[in-house]
Formats: sequence, C-alpha cells, structure tokens
Amino acid sequence: MIPSIIIYGLVNSVSLALIAIGFSLTFGISGVANFAYGGFYLLSGFLVWMLLNYLRFPLLLAIVTTIGVVGLLGFVTYWVILLRVRGIPLSEVIATFALGVGILELFRWLGFVTYEFTLPYFKKGMVMIAGVPVDYQRLFMIGIGLALVLFLYFFTHYTRVGLAFRGIAQNERTAISLGIKSDWTAALSLAFGSAMASVAAIVILPLGIISINQGYEVLLVAVAVGIVGGLESVPGILVASLILGYAQVLTGIYLKPEWMMVVYLAAIVIVLAIKPSGLFGKFKELEERV
Amino acid sequence: MMGKKGMIAFVLLGFAILISLPQTVLAQLKPGDPIVVGVPTALGSIEGRDGWMAIQMAVEEINAKGGVQVGATKHQLKAFSIDTREHEPGIPVQDALTATEKLILERKPHVIALGNFRSEVLLASMDLMSKYKLPYICSIAMAPQFQKKVVDEYDKYKYCFRNALNAPYLVMYLQGVMEFIKKQFGFSKAYIIVQDTLWAQGTGKGLEKWYKENGWEVAGFDAYALGASDFSPSLIKVRAQKAQVIVPIFDMPQSGILLKQARAMQIPALLAGFISPVAPENAWRAFEGEVDGMVNLIFEIGPVPVKAVPKSVAFNENFGKKWGKEAKMNLSGHGPGPSYDSIYLFANAIERAKTVEPDAVVKALEQTDLQGVIGRIRFGKDHQVIYGFDPKETALACAFQWRKPADRVVVFPEVVAESKIQLPPYMK
Repeated sequence: MIPSIIIYGLVNSVSLALIAIGFSLTFGISGVANFAYGGFYLLSGFLVWMLLNYLRFPLLLAIVTTIGVVGLLGFVTYWVILLRVRGIPLSEVIATFALGVGILELFRWLGFVTYEFTLPYFKKGMVMIAGVPVDYQRLFMIGIGLALVLFLYFFTHYTRVGLAFRGIAQNERTAISLGIKSDWTAALSLAFGSAMASVAAIVILPLGIISINQGYEVLLVAVAVGIVGGLESVPGILVASLILGYAQVLTGIYLKPEWMMVVYLAAIVIVLAIKPSGLFGKFKELEERV
Repeated sequence: MMGKKGMIAFVLLGFAILISLPQTVLAQLKPGDPIVVGVPTALGSIEGRDGWMAIQMAVEEINAKGGVQVGATKHQLKAFSIDTREHEPGIPVQDALTATEKLILERKPHVIALGNFRSEVLLASMDLMSKYKLPYICSIAMAPQFQKKVVDEYDKYKYCFRNALNAPYLVMYLQGVMEFIKKQFGFSKAYIIVQDTLWAQGTGKGLEKWYKENGWEVAGFDAYALGASDFSPSLIKVRAQKAQVIVPIFDMPQSGILLKQARAMQIPALLAGFISPVAPENAWRAFEGEVDGMVNLIFEIGPVPVKAVPKSVAFNENFGKKWGKEAKMNLSGHGPGPSYDSIYLFANAIERAKTVEPDAVVKALEQTDLQGVIGRIRFGKDHQVIYGFDPKETALACAFQWRKPADRVVVFPEVVAESKIQLPPYMK
C-alpha cells in the first residue's frame, strides 16, 4: 500500500498545485483575489469539449485555442470589471465571485449537467512504477506541473514582463516610478492566472468528468492551498500542495473518505489562527511579529 | 335561542367548512377542466430529466385517446414541472420544498408525479402532500423511512405512494446478483463504496449486513460526499486487501469517475452495483469502452427493454420515436419507467374513483393492479409498489453486464436473463 500512497499522494499534490498556482500568481502580482477562478477552470473544460464535439477541432488546436481564449477573458475581465474596483478588496472579491458564479450557473442553465461531458486522455495506456499502475495522463499531469513551475521561474526572472510582474509584486509605487505600468501588469497577471486555470483544467479533467460543482470546489482548493502556503508565494504553493495532497490521501485511506474535504477547511482554520500569512507568505508578516 | 356553547360550535363548524372549501371546489371538475399533474423534481439530473420526458409522453398518449373518463365526462391531462435542483450538492431541503409548494400554489395540481430526487426531501415533502391533500406517486427517491411514515401515521401520509424501487428492494436485487457471482466464480470478498446520502448509505449497510450473514468478507465500506471526484483512496485499499468485487452505489453524475479511476489503476475486481451514469445505452461511448465487464443494476425495467414485459419494449421504442435516438441512448436506469407508469396509475385510479377527490383517488390507488412498463404494479399496505423476480407477479428491476461491442446483456434475475455473468477481460 505504501508505494500506492506515495504515487497517488504525489499525483493528488501536483493536481492541487496546478489548480492553485494561477490563483496565486494573480494575487501575488496584482493583489486581486480572482474568485472567478473556478468559473474560468470549468469554462476551459467545456470550451475544449465544445471545440472537439461541435467544431471537430483536433485536440491540440482545441487546447491552444482554449488557453488563449480564457487568458484573453482574464485580461478583459481586468479592464472591464476590476479596474473600477481596484484597491477595494471586498469589491474585488464580490465582482470576481459574481463573474465566476455567473459562468458556472450559465453552463448549468444551458444543460451542461450530466456525465456525458468528458475530455479525452492525451494518451491512453499505463506504466507500472514500483508495482503500482499509473496511467499516462497522471504522468502528463506531473510533467506539466513541473514544467509550469520551471516556466514561471524563468519567465519571472529572465523576461521583461516577468520582471515587471516581480517589480509590481515587490513594491507597486517604486515599480511605477521606474516606468512599469501597473494596470497593464495587473491585467497581464490576470490573463496569465486565467490561462493557468485553463492548463489545469485541460490536464486534470480527462481523469473524470466535467461537472459544474467542480468549479466551486476548485476555488476552495485554490484558496486553501494559497492560505496554507502563502497566497503570493510559489514555493509556498508547492509545499502546501504536498502537505494537503498527502493529508487528503492519508485521510481517505486511514480515516474516512467523506472527511477528505474537511482537510482543506481544517487547514484554512489552523493556518489562519497560527500564521495568517501562510507558511511562506509575507503579506501580514509585520502584524504577525507585532 | 342558541346558547353560548352552541354559537361557538356553529362558528367552528363554519370555519371547518371554509377551510375545506378550496379543496372541495378544487376536487370538482367542470366539463373542459384539465386534470393537472404537478411534477416537482430535479430536472437537471438525468433521472429527473428523463422522468419528466416519460411523463409528457404518457400525458400525450392518454390525451390522444380522449383523456381520462371522470364520471360522465372526459378530461384532458395537463402536466407542469418545476426544477427543485435537489440533486445539486449544497441545495438545502427547504429550497426544494419551497419550489414544490410554489408549483402547488401556482398550478393547483390534482396529483403529484415523479417528485423528489433526494430521500431527505421526499420525507420532508410528505407533510406538504398531507397539508394540501395531494395524491403523490414518487418515482425516484428510495429511502425506506417513507414507508414507515405511511404505516405509522396512515391518516396523515396516506396520500403518498412510491412506484420506484426502494433501498431494501435494491439490497434484495444486489443480494441476488452477489449470490449469482459467488456461485459462478467463488468470490466472497467485497468492498462497498457509496455516496453519502440516505438511500445509498441505507443500501450499503443493508448489503453489508447480508454479506456478513452469508459467508462474505467485507473488505471495506467507504462513503463519499456528493460531488466527490477522487476515489483513489478506496481503490488503493481495494487493491491492498485483494477484494474481488467492488460494489458501488451512486447516482451522482461524478460517480462515473470511479469507473474511470478503477480502470486507470487497473484494479483487478469485478464492479457490480449501481453507477447511474453507467446505466444508459450511450455509457459505452461516453466512457470510451471502459465500462466493459461492469454489472450494473437497472432499478426499474423500461430503459432496458425486457422481452417478457412487452410494455417495457414498447416504452423503450416509443421513447426513441418521441424524443429521438440520442434521448433514448441517454435514458437513465432509474425513474423513467415508473414516472411513465405513474400517469397511467393516476388515470386508472381517477376513472375507477369517478372523481379527482383526493381521498377517493387514494382508495383507488391502493387497489391498483395493472401491468405497466415496470411489470405488474400493486401497492403494499405501506404504499410501496411490490418488487420481485417475476414480472407476471410483481414489478421488476434487473442487472445487465456491459459487453463488447457496446451491448447491455441482461444477466439477472434468471427468469429474464439472456446470459450468465462473464469475467471482464482484465480479470481473466
């Protein structure tokens, strides 16, 4: 059983990291908690499904188109909705949450509610690792999760846009004084975050079905992982994903599967009580020290 | 002169007449008035969606023949639905009840069909039916507590009937399938995985008890919250404990994921139970053949036509003609057959009662003895339709096995079986 726990715990952790990383990226740079994240995630799944089934796109083209469209939607969301409420956290949350709920409930209203909505595996088949069968899709998930983290590292350290991201994240006013455009950077961060929600959906959803309620669950996962690891910290997200991913699998195996969801909620409560910035977060570090 | 006590009695009598007046007026049909059927259900679920389609089909068929004979006049049927959304995680019971009451107040139905999806809502809605004195045939929710309420407080809950399979009958069929599997393959180690709802938990616990009393080992019993999408913890345990049979009991759309995960993890165990998304004809296509070998129950025949019950074959064909091939391919394994039958049961009861007055309709429903899509329909004293293994005597559920090249082969009960259960390719 141990090899199974290690492998499927890792798979679960990577899926949590994939889900949370886009949410964290947007918050870390623009300070906007994009509560439409679950809506973008599910929209991506349904968009790929529609492109494949209605327009008969090849899989790769459907994936690229979806990531582009959802990224663009994130960009537009900033200019159309968030620009007017920027800097008022409660309004930002309400506006984005309303958008997310609107997207999810629109699909429910359109009848996208049954089990027929599934995405194809990238490649069918499996390999044995330490006596445990692991399908290619899960291996793709691990690979793409690692690639995304590496991409983010190089992007934010070696490109002009990435450096602007970090500049704004570190000190917005100083960054502006150096000619970095705050709104453009924030809009781009929302676009990147939304595109990452899209990548997560495209990689994870073939393992199950596309179900409206996953949109709400994804938001809870992104928030829980962010709070545990530190909302703006990518290393924090990775560590929190590993903690929560393995905690969930162990809870499911040694306690009861119906308590797996409790792991997220308990982690949020415990971390907020002990270290509100999260394990690697710095947003409230000063208050915590005081 | 009337005394003070006499005056009070007179006023109370007046109130009593006033209170009962709307019901009395409602119960009297004028020529040309339709008989209104209220259908409050979870229209977003496949069971609710297909049940509603089956009801519309039955209403059209009856109306095409002139309607329902009530005394000297014929009356057309008119059905109205409302979406209670109760199959969605997080929807409180109260919301579903509010939707049901809205339908009752706005449409003023004479009877209620199909009804609740979740047992928790069904049990709570029984008070609504009692309050408005509405004969009600439930065709989805399965908790046995429904019958207990009818028996314990008959006068209050006599309006409520159920023609769908209930959890104890589901256990009875599952036991039959398991006995079959044990006899055929010698299997005796099972792992039960259910969704965390009243009916599924009740079914799982009933089956667990039976397993222990009949020489089986229960390797595990796990429940998953509505909406759960990762079943790997249970599947890891199934593999570790070398369970030979996985018994899933689910009706949520996400439950198809369990099947996909079991195949992806190459779990060498026979899946035999109920996964709602695996029941329809198009499940082979939807799950890209991964359903191969699974033994799945059809709660009430009709979605799977059984030759021994000609009405089930006719229903299946006519559903395709009315709603199209795709709708027939999607037909859910629970709900459509009894929903369709419920309209005929009401029509028959109203014709025999010669009125839509609720108490008379209830009396007539209690004396029902009809051949329907689901077999022979008779209600027990607890207002539950009696299920068994011979469709000439009782209503019928069945188990089928998915086989290449995308066939559902009926394997249980023996009287209607087309083949024996075969081990799937991954267990040979």
